[in-house]
Amino acid sequence: MWGRVLARAAVMLVIVLWTMFAAGPFLWVATISLRTTSEFMAAPYALPETWRFDKFATAWTGSGYDTYFTNSILVVFSAVAIVTAVGAMAAHALARYRFPGNRLVYLLIFSTIVLPPQITVIALFQTLAKLGLYDTRVGLTLVYAAVQLPLTVYILESFFARIPADLFDAARIDGYSEWATFWKVAFPVAMPAIATVVILNTILLWNEFLYAVVLIADDARRTLPLGIQKFMGDQLEDYGMIATGLMIAIVPVVLIYAIFSEKLIQGMTAGAVK
Amino acid sequence: MTSPRERPAWGAIVPFLLPATVFYLGLTAYPVIRTVWNSVHEVLPRREAYVGGAHYVELWADDTFWRAVRNTVTWALVAPFLEVSIALLLALALYARVPAARILRIAWFTPVLMSYVVVGIVWMWIYNYDWGAANAILRAVGLGHWAQPWLGTTDTALPALIVVTTWMWTGFNMVVLLAALHALPTEVIEAAELDRCGWGAKLTRVMVPLILPTILNLLVLSFVGKMKIFDLVWITTKGGPLWSTETVSTYVYKRAFEWSTFDLGYPSAIATVWFVIVMSFVAVLTWMVRRQQKLEY
Repeated sequence: MWGRVLARAAVMLVIVLWTMFAAGPFLWVATISLRTTSEFMAAPYALPETWRFDKFATAWTGSGYDTYFTNSILVVFSAVAIVTAVGAMAAHALARYRFPGNRLVYLLIFSTIVLPPQITVIALFQTLAKLGLYDTRVGLTLVYAAVQLPLTVYILESFFARIPADLFDAARIDGYSEWATFWKVAFPVAMPAIATVVILNTILLWNEFLYAVVLIADDARRTLPLGIQKFMGDQLEDYGMIATGLMIAIVPVVLIYAIFSEKLIQGMTAGAVK
Repeated sequence: MTSPRERPAWGAIVPFLLPATVFYLGLTAYPVIRTVWNSVHEVLPRREAYVGGAHYVELWADDTFWRAVRNTVTWALVAPFLEVSIALLLALALYARVPAARILRIAWFTPVLMSYVVVGIVWMWIYNYDWGAANAILRAVGLGHWAQPWLGTTDTALPALIVVTTWMWTGFNMVVLLAALHALPTEVIEAAELDRCGWGAKLTRVMVPLILPTILNLLVLSFVGKMKIFDLVWITTKGGPLWSTETVSTYVYKRAFEWSTFDLGYPSAIATVWFVIVMSFVAVLTWMVRRQQKLEY
């Protein structure tokens, strides 16, 4: 009897400790983001006395976060739109049609999921420079679409493959072209999987740093992770403002997560369970 | 798939595959080949010259490179075991019907959704000597003499960063393991209970062997992730102090874009070597996992 109670208490203790460990750092940053640096230095772990939401306005207009945020939105949304369309078409072709080389193409695309990014990043720098796309948002967008292509095809292919062939036969009898069959039948049916890859790619690209730091140089074209890094480099001691900047990057992710937590967890873990 | 008797409908296949092929060839396959080509050339902004295996010879004698390899491999070997074992413990805790398990699952998963830039800055503060949480906690429990600048000391910098990736990825592993546990057939576990199996035996003899494929997959996934690690190091320590946290990725970046040597050939040689090593590890590990799964079923 006592053994059971003790075991139960131990389990609860582990759970409480890990929850504090996992969530603590973010709650701490959230409090700092609403306090000034001098308030923070006086008592690093105190709660905000006055909630200084105006710091967000200051960071937004005064420290370039409006530019970084806009750049992130532009690059990430365009890249996700491109990779969803391109990836869905490829996944559909690989799942639906039987042709020689089908599995080879799939394997080639799939194996690049584990590719270390250094193997492409130097040559991408050279290539984009030659094409005049170095230090442009268009260049970064195209690279981002290519980087997320394998994961997108991988998740969508397995979903498309489970769409019953009868559905396509019916579409053909109704006189749909192959193109119309894809956009009007396969794509809508695959909406749950499409939503998963859209959310997943958005978050992964929103956080991306390596390609951005190599392919973007000008301050006016920096995405949020680069902007935060630069701001930290310039204002190393202004912890209060840095924390506000961090929250500007975190909040959209938390919002997406709050709405789509199940979908996102599904997407993130899709590769691991298989 | 359409019926096998039909001839491939190339008229539909080609347009569907074309855009992906263009992206793949242009922005993935070509850069890989170009990097390998770079690695046997001296690549300066206006001049390229064939140098054969010179970069590889230089690499063999490059102490910093080997230091980076040692750090990265240590990270890639230690972190997966930490992450997966703690995750297994947590998954079992949640599996044992804890109140609010759903919310806890969502909360624990959160760190993995954050950018390494954000995570890096937050942890630099946590490790701050004067007011960071790590030292604050030590001082509060009377272990103040252990307090130190965790990221600024050569002995502790790498372990401190391994703690960060463990913090970040354990929740992810936990969610996957929990899903695997919930997918176990209940009859098996009930049978174990009927046999008066204790909790410990049920765990080690029945549940863990059944989710072993998932555990192995997670170990491989975590291993590969750590072999590529860049962002976190770049934000927090830039490989310092004294190369104690230099990873292969940060060293490639430094040699390509930070040092004033301007030669892109040498870093390309590092990247090529690392590419071959990572891909062979993945191939061998995948093969081992597959074999394991065949033995299971």
